[in-house]
Amino acid sequence: MPSRPCGLAAVKISAFPFSSRRTVAALDLFLQTLLNGLLIGGVIATFTIAFQLTFGVLHVIDFAVGGWVVLGGYLGYFMAAGLGVDGFLAIPVAFVLFGILGYLIGPILYNVRNSRTARPELMALALTFGLFTLLRGGMLTFWGFNTHSVPTALSGESFTVGPVTVPLIRVAAAVFAIAIAGGLFLFLYRTRYGLAIRATAENRHNAALMGVNIRRLSANVYGLYAGITAMAGVLMGSIYSVNPEVGLRYTLFAFFVAVLAGLGSVGGALVAALMLGVIEAFVSTYVGSSYSLLAIFTTLFLVLLISPKGILRRGL
Amino acid sequence: MSTNDKGFSRRKFLGGSAVALTAGTLGMPFVRTARAQAATFKAGVITSLSGDNILGGNLTKRGYDLWADAINAKGGVEVGGDRFKVDMSYGDDQSNPATGADAAERLIVQNEVDVLFGPYTSGSTIAVQPICQKYQVPMISGSAESPNVWKAKPEFNFGIIPSVDTTSGMSLAVLAKLSNPAAKTIAVIGVNEPFSKETGEGFRDGVKAAGLEMVAYELVPPEGDLTPVISKIAALNPDVIAVGGHEEPLINVVKTCKSLNYRPKALIMHYGVTNPAFAQALGADADGTTGVAVWLPTVPYKDDLFGTAKEFAEMAQKKSGQEPDYTEAGCAASGLVLGDALKRLGKKPALKPEDRVALKDAIAETDIHTFYGPIKFEKEGPHYHDNTQPVPVLIQIQGGKTIAVGPKEAAAAPFIYPLPAWK
Repeated sequence: MPSRPCGLAAVKISAFPFSSRRTVAALDLFLQTLLNGLLIGGVIATFTIAFQLTFGVLHVIDFAVGGWVVLGGYLGYFMAAGLGVDGFLAIPVAFVLFGILGYLIGPILYNVRNSRTARPELMALALTFGLFTLLRGGMLTFWGFNTHSVPTALSGESFTVGPVTVPLIRVAAAVFAIAIAGGLFLFLYRTRYGLAIRATAENRHNAALMGVNIRRLSANVYGLYAGITAMAGVLMGSIYSVNPEVGLRYTLFAFFVAVLAGLGSVGGALVAALMLGVIEAFVSTYVGSSYSLLAIFTTLFLVLLISPKGILRRGL
Repeated sequence: MSTNDKGFSRRKFLGGSAVALTAGTLGMPFVRTARAQAATFKAGVITSLSGDNILGGNLTKRGYDLWADAINAKGGVEVGGDRFKVDMSYGDDQSNPATGADAAERLIVQNEVDVLFGPYTSGSTIAVQPICQKYQVPMISGSAESPNVWKAKPEFNFGIIPSVDTTSGMSLAVLAKLSNPAAKTIAVIGVNEPFSKETGEGFRDGVKAAGLEMVAYELVPPEGDLTPVISKIAALNPDVIAVGGHEEPLINVVKTCKSLNYRPKALIMHYGVTNPAFAQALGADADGTTGVAVWLPTVPYKDDLFGTAKEFAEMAQKKSGQEPDYTEAGCAASGLVLGDALKRLGKKPALKPEDRVALKDAIAETDIHTFYGPIKFEKEGPHYHDNTQPVPVLIQIQGGKTIAVGPKEAAAAPFIYPLPAWK
């Protein structure tokens, strides 16, 4: 027998004497769609929040964000397949491993971005594009082209709340995104180092004059961003799948969120991701999936026209 | 001028590098000439060695290489009592049709190939066809399944696998007949990209003949999240869900269904299910998924080069570590078509341009029996130059293995229907 699908109400019809079965079913679908949208937004937020940090501090649009996500996914897969452990155990490992890697790459990015060549911001973007290509090519060469999945205890698990089915792994992703956003907020606004980061983002020259080691701070921020993004990659590998070619779509969605949120706005990224998720869900359900990207691009276009600094007007 | 303690001069270094580079560049034609003097037939492989379709692209490359390695191990293709080896060159379409066309042109103009082995995707195949027409070089496509490839009536392209509109609709009829209690309703999902969309349309067009009622038809973007679509379909509760797509979205459909705790009575997909990577990625969750195959290692066909289908599968598995699917087998069979056509043509390498046109005519007259099954190309109609001989088999993943379950005369195990609840 097929398992009970989501969509038909568990609420007794008699509780709503004036509702028809069709109305109840429509309401169920609406609630499920709303939840789906919020959870899709939560998933997008996992890998876009830290992405905003790099622009705010390093003034670099990191094309390699998708590469870090996929690397995290691969770490989850290899740990689960090789060690027989739950894929979630890869999350802290991803933070440390790719945080260190990001810390080592950060100074290179800083040097390019602050060099005296013409258009250093474009040179830095080209560098990150090169990094993305290197990561993608390296993964293809060493790990092949097959699609893999990260098995976790929450994969495929769900619970129902009234008429809606709630996938646990996506709730975990949303909780992760909120925790990261909250953690970053506390770090940036309640610590001295966070103050230094904000000062650098606001005016690097004055921050340097106040004694902030900009180069080391940039390396630390890039390491933090790479670590967080790789952690998100473990979750992506569990929710979707992982192969060297999926990185580009994460990069594209990170750009979408950055445009909607305003470049450099961490809080805006969470709101923008939720917004994009809800748009995608509702358009897919009530209009057609083939129109979801059209709706997303239309939204981006309108936001750029009306509020170029993002929906919260906090972009740089 | 900078120098180190040993008197190293930047000027000397740059000068030496320039001399070496010039010598290398001037020497290249001699290398090329030396290579060109060996009497070999030249084949160019255009496929997706990078990009979204890299998995399938490498399957096709494996298939083409299997034939090249096997025939070269025997000394090469037999022509007039002599044997001539096959020299393979490769072009990457990067999962992009326009890039595929450029790569094909490079293979024809620079590598001077006698024949092309076609891309993994139908989109790239359609893009390369005009290049073949322009340069009058035949192409044998071991993978393309979209009916749009053959609607264009390509003079210089020949397809090994029957197009998806002939197989997907037939498979629904088989499934409906096998289902007990009888399936009544179906939802169709097609990923909005070449081949996948046509597969969805093939399923859609076969619904009526299968005696089913279609409750939903959805086209989804390749990179979109599937949760909204699956939720919407789950609310309609069809007996069957049919999905047209490549491996990654097919895997995501199963994962999304499970995450929403939704399982239809039957889930049928087309290409991708037979790829071992599908079952490996999903583990036990792949069980129960139904697919369509035009070749399995258990089919009762054979030929002189590869032996039986089972022997081919064992050889392929030994080389790659994975059991071959019908795409890999179709690409290997492409080589058999080329070998047969060259033998009948009777021309020794190097082929002249008019010889390649004659090769095209020889390929059009192909009528052979191989480990893949019978191969004969249509000479007219909507499937012009497509091999529509193979009979599709309904397969189902059971215990991690791909098992033939229909039609009854081809079944190796009973069809599991309805599917049990998710564990």
